[in-house]
Amino acid sequence: MRLLVVEDDEAIRTFLERGLTEAGFQVDAAADGRSAEALAVEGIHDAMVVDLGLPDIDGLEFIARVRAQGSTSPVLILSARRSVDDRVRGLEQGGDDYLTKPFALAEVVARLRNLLRRYSAQPESSRIRVADLELDLVRREARRGERELQLTAQEFALLEYLCRNTGRVVTRTLILDHVWRMRIDPATNVVDVHIYRLRSKVDVEGVPPLIHTIRGIGYVLKSV
Amino acid sequence: MSLSLYSRARSTAAWRISIWTTVAFSICSAIAFVIMYLLVARDVQSRSDAWLTGEAETLSEVVANTPRDNLDTRLVAEVAELASHEVMAAEESNSQTQQSVFFLLTRTGREPIWVGPTPRTPFLGALPGAASQPGVPASIVVGGHPLPFRVVWNTAADGSRLYLGFADTAAAAMMRRMIVRFLMIWCGMALLGFAISAMGAFRTLQRVERISATVDRIGTEDLGKRLPEAEADDEISRLSRTFNRMLDRIQRSVNQIRIVTDSVAHDLKSPVTTIRGSLEVALLHGDSEDWRERVADAVEKLDRLSQTLNTALDLAEADAGALPLKLEALDLGVLVENLCDLFQPSFAERQHKLQCHVQAGLFIDGDPSLLSRTIANLLDNEVAHLPAGRQVAVSVCQCDQYAEMVLEDDGPGFPQELRARAFERFVKGQHSSGHGLGLAFVNAIVQAHGGCVTITDSSAGGAQIRIKLPLAKVPA
Repeated sequence: MRLLVVEDDEAIRTFLERGLTEAGFQVDAAADGRSAEALAVEGIHDAMVVDLGLPDIDGLEFIARVRAQGSTSPVLILSARRSVDDRVRGLEQGGDDYLTKPFALAEVVARLRNLLRRYSAQPESSRIRVADLELDLVRREARRGERELQLTAQEFALLEYLCRNTGRVVTRTLILDHVWRMRIDPATNVVDVHIYRLRSKVDVEGVPPLIHTIRGIGYVLKSV
Repeated sequence: MSLSLYSRARSTAAWRISIWTTVAFSICSAIAFVIMYLLVARDVQSRSDAWLTGEAETLSEVVANTPRDNLDTRLVAEVAELASHEVMAAEESNSQTQQSVFFLLTRTGREPIWVGPTPRTPFLGALPGAASQPGVPASIVVGGHPLPFRVVWNTAADGSRLYLGFADTAAAAMMRRMIVRFLMIWCGMALLGFAISAMGAFRTLQRVERISATVDRIGTEDLGKRLPEAEADDEISRLSRTFNRMLDRIQRSVNQIRIVTDSVAHDLKSPVTTIRGSLEVALLHGDSEDWRERVADAVEKLDRLSQTLNTALDLAEADAGALPLKLEALDLGVLVENLCDLFQPSFAERQHKLQCHVQAGLFIDGDPSLLSRTIANLLDNEVAHLPAGRQVAVSVCQCDQYAEMVLEDDGPGFPQELRARAFERFVKGQHSSGHGLGLAFVNAIVQAHGGCVTITDSSAGGAQIRIKLPLAKVPA
């Protein structure tokens, strides 16, 4: 997967380049709209990460130009502007998702993967299996080995989201956004409590734990 | 000295007001006088015309009844002179009357009879210009006489023509005196009017002067100073009150800014210090066991910081009226229920009982993201501040044209001293670990949606927060 990162702030660009490379992407980076456009016309990028506040042209205008040249790669917009209007404008002009600064690297990675999956349109499978955990997405049932898990609808949705992102760290914000469809930022440990409850049902004593806490970032579901 | 005083006075509004008042007053009184003058002049003329026509008829009769002999000329002249004397004697001296009345009788084949001022030539020249109708007075101007003469003529059966003319010098003198007197009185009135209006205007505007002097003295140091507020409810008193209210607001804002700066100093500086500290320790002992823990801790603290920053910025935008709302038809009941579902385990964790009764189908025009954050904020507050094992009830129902959300608990309630200022930013309870922006944010968002928030005691003795949001005009 090859990405184009357009960001004029050198510190952020470097950190994105490093972080995304470590996450397994090939990364081309540009510091301004013009050089980014030169890179984009080659049409080799699977996705783009674009900052709105570029020194030469507006990020939104850059996206519009790239789209006009026939590129269909999904775009993740980064913005220091917080207002909803800009976000909407960004999405309308072909940006596909947005993040406001400051953001977590895990969130950038997760949103990019999400965009790439959406674009590649993989056939949906009705079952997910991670180690001895098995989810039946149609009947909304989960089993760990031989044991059937008694999960509430919320807990099932949460587990499904973690399973779909097996091996990848998801932040609390991402969980709230994807499981509860809410862009909120609670001051209390709302998400943690849900995870503890889920964990108490999934990771019972005697079996190797699947749900892991990555302190300061979020959670990951993986078999060690 | 007096010159500079004059030029200073000339630049004042009071001066201009007085001048304009005086000009308006003078013009109005002049118009009134002119109208009065014209009315009087008309009356005077109709009086003298009535005398003129009556006398001319009498004289005509005398002429007609006087036998034509050698004496008739003298007789008619005597009668004419007598008549003019008789009428005017009461008012004027003889010489003047004689000057102002003339009598002419033209007779076919005989010498005309002339009684009146000499020389008579200018009269004889001017008479053909008199009115063409007999018995109707008309004005003619006679050379050498300043006043026009009113003239009436009659024709007798024998073809002789009688002219009687009269210049009412007495009335003219009276009218002249009237004008002179009016001018004198008019000047006096204008001066007096100017003095009165100048005094009033100066006195009134002096109060404005005092206000501007006081306001001038109010700097940032003594923002507590206020203008004296008079009992009267006139414009100037209102100006003072408006100024005082503005000063109240400015003082509140300045205080608010002080609180915010103090709070930012405390709330942002101390986490920055601890973050820096723990990262520094991690750097110095990079190989130690707990460096991962320290970095994670720093990241969590940074998340809290950026959250505070975002809320503060949202609040600043809401205050400036610049918070962009992405409105859509929202079922408030569903929104609240979803949030309750999300928070339910957090409440259970602390042995609270969260009850949620919502009426579905109450649609409002709202920004889903901002309203979710608002309600999440309130639920966060409950989770964070309520002592363990309490009851919390959330309900949504319709109240007139509003959807009303009520959140109440049986906790210790809102501290009395905080209640009045609960919606101010950075106001928080003594043991609160929050950033103190929560309720200010709630209030700002609800107000931006055209609703209101109230805090009272709940029936269970705890706190009750009531949010009213206007229902959407057309239910979706």
